[in-house]
Amino acid sequence: MLLSANAMGPRLRFGLFTVNAVIAAFLLLPILFIVLLSFGSSQWLVFPPPGWTFKWYEQFFSNAQWMQSAFVSLKVALLTTVFATVLGLPTAFALVRGKFPGRDLLYALFTLPMIVPLVIIAVATYALFLKFGYTGTLTAFVISHVIVALPFTIISIINSLKLFDQSIEDAAVICGASRWQAILKVTFPAIRPGLVAGGLFAFLVSWDEVVLSIMMASPGLQTLPVKMWTTLRQDLTPVIAVASTLLIALSILIMLVAALLRRRAELKG
Amino acid sequence: MTALRTTLVDTATSGKARLASDRWRGAPYLLPALIFLGLFFLAPLIGLLLRGILEPTPGLSNYAQLFANSAYSKVLFNTFAVAGLVTLISLLLAFPLAWAITLVPRGWGRALLGIVLLSMWTSLLARTYSWLVLLQASGVINKVLMAFGVIDQPLEMVHNLTGVVIGMTYIMIPFIVLPLQATMSAIDPMVLQAGSICGASPWRNFFRVFIPLCRPGIFSGALMVFVMSLGYYVTPALLGGAQNMMLPEFIVQQVQSFLNWGVASAAAALLIVITLALFYVYLKLQPESPAASATAR
Repeated sequence: MLLSANAMGPRLRFGLFTVNAVIAAFLLLPILFIVLLSFGSSQWLVFPPPGWTFKWYEQFFSNAQWMQSAFVSLKVALLTTVFATVLGLPTAFALVRGKFPGRDLLYALFTLPMIVPLVIIAVATYALFLKFGYTGTLTAFVISHVIVALPFTIISIINSLKLFDQSIEDAAVICGASRWQAILKVTFPAIRPGLVAGGLFAFLVSWDEVVLSIMMASPGLQTLPVKMWTTLRQDLTPVIAVASTLLIALSILIMLVAALLRRRAELKG
Repeated sequence: MTALRTTLVDTATSGKARLASDRWRGAPYLLPALIFLGLFFLAPLIGLLLRGILEPTPGLSNYAQLFANSAYSKVLFNTFAVAGLVTLISLLLAFPLAWAITLVPRGWGRALLGIVLLSMWTSLLARTYSWLVLLQASGVINKVLMAFGVIDQPLEMVHNLTGVVIGMTYIMIPFIVLPLQATMSAIDPMVLQAGSICGASPWRNFFRVFIPLCRPGIFSGALMVFVMSLGYYVTPALLGGAQNMMLPEFIVQQVQSFLNWGVASAAAALLIVITLALFYVYLKLQPESPAASATAR
């Protein structure tokens, strides 16, 4: 009866419903609040706002610094996506199909950047880039982001590779294709959902990355989250609410695309 | 099919060369990523850990300082206290959510799951900023509480540990809901029915049958959240105060403001060891660990 909504007593059911409504409101509150604030006319973030306006959006889009940091974010995220996918693809193939000693240990190594606290990866790579004078460069941003994005692409590709029946690829080889042709023409299209999902994860990880970016940034080169971070430390201007709303919108968009891809992959079986 | 594949491999790689290469079949494809991680992740990490015992003078002086200096040990205490508190509260809030999602997989259970996922995927910085505005002295929460006469003075809920716990709990809830929900949906409802047929009161059934069955999900979710809370930087740095630092913030401060790499590295080593040890326990708790699922084809 505790696991069947219909058999549950009305009092318990009502109690559970109320508790969940409150918790759901708690989860939704900050997200809705920030979106509303970005349209509020109050400089001091008074809520409910005295009026509604687009002026913070105008300020955001007309400010060279905000726009530049958004552009840097986009560039870093795209480069990270490309490198994490290119590095992740052969790795995933080797981890799924290869047979060699210590494979499980290597798998653990590749997921390690997901487990080690970001702040430690940030400090460690910061020390490295400091030594070679690379802090505040695009290279430093991309390299540090690829480290944390790589586990996402590898795991995502591994999952789709495991779903794919290798005998289909073998069949192509029997029919006269070379192994590479078979992989390129048969296997790649089949694992594309995993590839794209991995790429989306990598993009999102990089796009939202704060800790590594704070350490890598210089006044001349910063990503959108870094710009938000440094602005936040001075004042809470509604322009940050605009940046946040845009980040939220992009996250939702990517989440929807990923869900859509997963559903399509599931339908294909 | 397997036989077919073996013959294919046999024809593809022939003779003696096969024996030598077969032991490392596929391994060369790992090299690019391995070199990348070795150069940019492992080497700097080891370098950082070495600094903890080499700078300023070789020895364990940094570690001794970490535990002896009362300001430093307060940081350690704060880190564990906040992580523990966050784990406890997010567990209490995640349990009813997971339960409802399991009870009503369609309808409003689905909506709840959507909200959990949305919150998880929303930019960390955006959510933290929102809490900063919500919790400040002139913020909405204080205003509402004052309008209802609950309080006379605005509560100080930001730039202290209260703010950190609220913000972190908010972020961690999804990470407990998801594993807990997976555990709950695997429970056979018949077992609970058997409990009540055998005369257990709903309360007894809940505490003696339902909770024990949920235990794997509770443990793995709580452990994961505890580990993640130990290592979070952004939320404590923005919502917390300078007086009540946590370990990650402490590490960054030692590096950026004091250039004290020795102590920072010792603190980092401590954080890594605790994280990896707890993560090992986490993997042991999983019926099918990620490492195992990578091998199973």
